[in-house]
Amino acid sequence: MIASRLPSLQRRLVTRLAALFVAGSLVIVAVLVYRAYDTADTLNDRELSLRAADLARYVVRDADGSARLVLPPGLRDAYDAAPGVAFAVRSRDGRIIDALPASFGSLVARWPEPTDDPSYFHLAGIAGNAKDYYGLGISLDGPAGPLSIWVARAEDANALVHSLLQEFVLDIAWVIPLFMLLALAIAILAIRGALRPIRQVSEIAASIGPSTTSTRLPEENLPSEIVPLVSAVNRALGRLEQGFAVQRQFTANAAHELRTPLAIVTGALDNMQATDEVIRLKADVDRMNRLVEQLLSVARLDAIALDVSATVDLNEIARETVATLAPWALAQGVSLAFSGSEDHVEVKGNGHAIADAIRNLLENAVVQAPPRSEVTVSTLAEGRVQVADRGPGVPEQDRVSIFERFWRGKGAARPGAGLGLAIVVETMKAHGGSVAVESGPNGGAVFTLVFPTASAAR
Amino acid sequence: VTDVRLLIVEDEVRIVEILRSALSRAGFAVDSVGRCDDARAALEVNPYDAAILDLGLPDGDGMKLLKDVRSRGNAVPILVLTARDAVQHRVAGLDCGADDYLVKPFATSELIARTKALLRRPGGALGATLRTGNIVFDTIGRDVRVGDEALLLTRREVAILEHLMRRLGRVVPKAVLEEKLYGMDDELESNAIPVHVHHLRRKLIESGATAEIHTVRGVGYLLVDGDA
Repeated sequence: MIASRLPSLQRRLVTRLAALFVAGSLVIVAVLVYRAYDTADTLNDRELSLRAADLARYVVRDADGSARLVLPPGLRDAYDAAPGVAFAVRSRDGRIIDALPASFGSLVARWPEPTDDPSYFHLAGIAGNAKDYYGLGISLDGPAGPLSIWVARAEDANALVHSLLQEFVLDIAWVIPLFMLLALAIAILAIRGALRPIRQVSEIAASIGPSTTSTRLPEENLPSEIVPLVSAVNRALGRLEQGFAVQRQFTANAAHELRTPLAIVTGALDNMQATDEVIRLKADVDRMNRLVEQLLSVARLDAIALDVSATVDLNEIARETVATLAPWALAQGVSLAFSGSEDHVEVKGNGHAIADAIRNLLENAVVQAPPRSEVTVSTLAEGRVQVADRGPGVPEQDRVSIFERFWRGKGAARPGAGLGLAIVVETMKAHGGSVAVESGPNGGAVFTLVFPTASAAR
Repeated sequence: VTDVRLLIVEDEVRIVEILRSALSRAGFAVDSVGRCDDARAALEVNPYDAAILDLGLPDGDGMKLLKDVRSRGNAVPILVLTARDAVQHRVAGLDCGADDYLVKPFATSELIARTKALLRRPGGALGATLRTGNIVFDTIGRDVRVGDEALLLTRREVAILEHLMRRLGRVVPKAVLEEKLYGMDDELESNAIPVHVHHLRRKLIESGATAEIHTVRGVGYLLVDGDA
């Protein structure tokens, strides 16, 4: 449950970050591409302006007063060799001084005078060249006086610039998503790192139960955003612990205080003439005594963390418990037997609590066992204790619920409050073991206490 | 019948009444006090055969009283009554010199049985002549009678019967019997105890004894008085 919730928070963060990064890189790439083309256009404009200024510089006035374009030979050749380049130079009196190609000159001859600021134009083909031409017209003062100059260039003439820019943009566009991916990876690692203490806190929280109410969640190493939640949970745990303590204290006190009056009633009944009514009352008081004992056991198991650190021999505990209960069992018409494992069956545990658990199983078994039958306690290597009776057994559908507190068999005339097995469960939990019931080979119920063996134990 | 004198140290008046009446009916003379100081004084003055001590007293801890009594060399058998549930308290009680303990609430029959068991110890008020139902065991003369008839037993059977009678109603582990018999029988075979017990049981039945030996398989044996 916890394991699936954490990655989902991670996933949400990662997917959103990824979406943000993709959108961000798209915007950045788009802006870069736009800016690059914009720059290319500006460069084109600048180049055309420079060319216009160049042309103006090389217009000279002859002795007869007529203007003439005299380009240095290198430049002339360059213009002749470059296709898709057009220019025209017009004097103020409307005469075309020079043009390339000539048809461009005749085209611009009728154009109005350009201003000092460049004005742009677009032509769909010049002199049979079907390409789109972009150009500008400008008025310039050259050594030969004011001139109107138009320069144009076929679209593919700046393909080189564009391809250079394209390459440049593509290089950047490649790097950006890569950079984003790297950032995303770092973000994921950071999220993971930040979530790790939370996962540890969750594990501690999962271990909190009625017997470990003093546990608090650590607030160290947590992301500061989570700390208020954790400390609020800790305060809530504190209030719960108090409530639990009050409840347990009450149970323990109530059971404790009940003992003296119960002892009085028990003793008084013992002293009375044993009429049928007195015998029935005695049975009732016995039942009450047992209930009080069990309530105390439960309160004790809930309240105190059982010390299970001692090394105990299950053989010895089981044998002593059988010896203690045998006289009582005989009085109920049932004999007890013990069958020990050959070797010591040593486990880590609390001898008194284990004896209590075995006693509860034995008491149940004796009550269930038919008269004159035998109830057997066996210890097996691997840290197991079995209590087997020849009674009716436990129906399959009840084999889980009988271990719940205050569970009573339907219609069964079982004495007791149904706490005995709950005590066994709590005891085994405290030992890191378990209890289960199944049918014996010859009918009856077999309860098995399973302890973690010394090698498997912590 | 006997002149056994017991001291009850208990502050709960009703419980004192009930104990007094039950123990009197069992044939014991009973004194009772409700405070530690009184208990100390009473134990100092009178040679009681056994004391029944409640641990929760108004003027002090019964456990401390127990320690004091033992430190003064008073070896009177003491049965501790306790409402304390924590098992370590019982153990602590035994460590402080209690001979047995009983957790409240208890059946008076159990209390009487435990008290008698204390008295039946060697040197106890009932330790010289053990009685169970119609079996009478003179531990000094090593002489066993069932009713008026003498019962002829081997030495080992007598030893086994003595332990079973001293611990009447409680299981005597087989290992304990083996230990007791080891001294008198150098070559004790592994099934020696079951064989002796078997013979003893048969002889008791044949002689019409009211008490019966039960086997707790894998643990030991106990003697139960059929009349009780």
